[in-house]
Amino acid sequence: MEELIKIQNIKKEYKMGKITVPALNGIDLEINKSDFVAIMGPSGSGKSTLMHILGCLDTATFGEYFLNNEKVSGMKKSKLAAIRNKQIGFVFQTFNLLPHLSVQKNVELPLMYAGLSKRNRIKRAREVLAEVALSDRVKHKPSELSGGQRQRVAIARAIVNSPAILLADEPTGNLDSSSGRDILTIFSELHLKGHTIIIVTHDSAVAERANKIVHIVDGLIKNGDFS
Amino acid sequence: MAISLKESLIVGFFDFWSRKIRSFVTITGIVLGTMSIIVVLSLVNGINKKTLEWMMERGGLTKITVYRDWNYNNKRKLSTYFSLKEIELIRSLIPEAKYMNPQIRHHVKFSYEDKEYRGPIFGVYPDFSDIEEWDAGKGRFISNFDIRQSNDIVVIGTKVKEELFGNKKALGQMITVHNRRLQVIGIMEHRYLYNSGNLGSKNALSYLNRRSFTPLSTMIHKGTGEDNIGSFAVKAQDVKSAPDLRRKLEAIILNLRAGEPVFRIESAQEEAEEMEENAAKFRIIFFLVSAISLLVGGIVIMNIMLASIQERTREIGIRIAVGARRRDIFLQFLVQTILVTTIGGVFGIILGLSILDIVSKYLDFELIAGGFMILVALMVSAGIGLIFGISPAIKASKLNPVEALRYE
Repeated sequence: MEELIKIQNIKKEYKMGKITVPALNGIDLEINKSDFVAIMGPSGSGKSTLMHILGCLDTATFGEYFLNNEKVSGMKKSKLAAIRNKQIGFVFQTFNLLPHLSVQKNVELPLMYAGLSKRNRIKRAREVLAEVALSDRVKHKPSELSGGQRQRVAIARAIVNSPAILLADEPTGNLDSSSGRDILTIFSELHLKGHTIIIVTHDSAVAERANKIVHIVDGLIKNGDFS
Repeated sequence: MAISLKESLIVGFFDFWSRKIRSFVTITGIVLGTMSIIVVLSLVNGINKKTLEWMMERGGLTKITVYRDWNYNNKRKLSTYFSLKEIELIRSLIPEAKYMNPQIRHHVKFSYEDKEYRGPIFGVYPDFSDIEEWDAGKGRFISNFDIRQSNDIVVIGTKVKEELFGNKKALGQMITVHNRRLQVIGIMEHRYLYNSGNLGSKNALSYLNRRSFTPLSTMIHKGTGEDNIGSFAVKAQDVKSAPDLRRKLEAIILNLRAGEPVFRIESAQEEAEEMEENAAKFRIIFFLVSAISLLVGGIVIMNIMLASIQERTREIGIRIAVGARRRDIFLQFLVQTILVTTIGGVFGIILGLSILDIVSKYLDFELIAGGFMILVALMVSAGIGLIFGISPAIKASKLNPVEALRYE
């Protein structure tokens, strides 16, 4: 299998006044292309911190991170922004859609930062909205959609730039069980299409769909379980 | 990968539009500031233009006038009048002057049949008409022949004609002026210049229509017998030669009065320049006063933008998460502030022009808002956005994305 992510001895510390709080204490992890990984662990274990570092939203205090054999740790902020735009798609528990923008405009956002023309943006956004069965909701505002529909918009936005990795933080956490199942089905379908998916979750039902489960406790990987 | 300036503008405009009420409240200060720049500067320009118009009506920029200086401490008791001989001498020394007119003024009683009128009469030369660019509308003005012969004639203003003759024919009639019989040979053209904002006469030049003119020689030899000329005016060939003529005239007069500046020399061109200098000062002062209101508007905008960034922290986090660079966020907020102030500027200009239109119609006074002034007002309002938008934009671009995404 082709290696997509490799992190070595990643440590993350937060400064709170004079006190240093360790969040990650030396994580080593390898994720291959087309893996479906579930990162699990109790609250405060460091799983969200790990996701932020993997998603280039945050940087490690120590250690090295390689993405597609390219060293990400130490990169300039503008390069990290390019990686977030082109290679990573985020799905959040609280959807994080811009409330004053339409569904279409929300999905277009990464394409706009990628520098695509308006015409191409509209075309591509409509394609992915069709993939998540929201073609009839393009002009709606997020507030006019159900929770499940909002999360589907967020997924459409995450995959619109065809990223290498799809990072999801408790994507079903704010949904009822039926909507949650629908969302997980979409993730499974995307996985089948070859997307690499990393989901941070508490939910064992989510983890069941993953082919690799990473348990984090106190900022360390307890075990890596491949199915 | 980058968000273009055009995209930033579209995003900025969309933000402005999606928060309409706040946006319009935000721009109020800028609207008022820009409006005051337009109105105040136009007023200064309008007044300046009107004064210049008045000066042109009074003989143009080539006119140089010599008066007695009432403020001068004349310890040596030098004569503060010119004699006709001195006037002739001065005239011979300045052949380059196009026209010259000495004059004596008296306030006298005019009578015709049972009608009486009191007003000024001026003893003048024929050049008066050329210097003042004011001629007889009916009949004729005083000629050189009249001067040589000291003819008993008078040219009266339209007001004098109206008071003495009403609708009757005046030309050729004999009137009594200060106990002397003079024949009316001409009626001066009626002078009119609209006087705005004054509660008195609507005609700024009405005082000219009350004047009458007789040959200077008649006044001296047959009238008062006093050879005391209090003032004279000369006209240069052109505006360019006027300053030289003024200097030469000053030297001649000082020479005639033993170096004592008993007389004051005023050049219309210098007055115009002085007026322009004063107008420039006023423009700067009023501009600064208006700029203060714009500054206050700018501070209000900065405050609102800082609050807006606080409110939109999560949005900034989302934008960074999907690939926005710090520069994109900086540009988005800066462009938005500039857009807000520029829109404010446009509204201010429209409002200012509307006010000028109303004021112009009400006062019947031309108020000029030139293209340059509009451009300056627009640039100042955009500049205010640039200055006061930088700090909020930097703050937005430096937000930590992880913290921003967690912001409730």
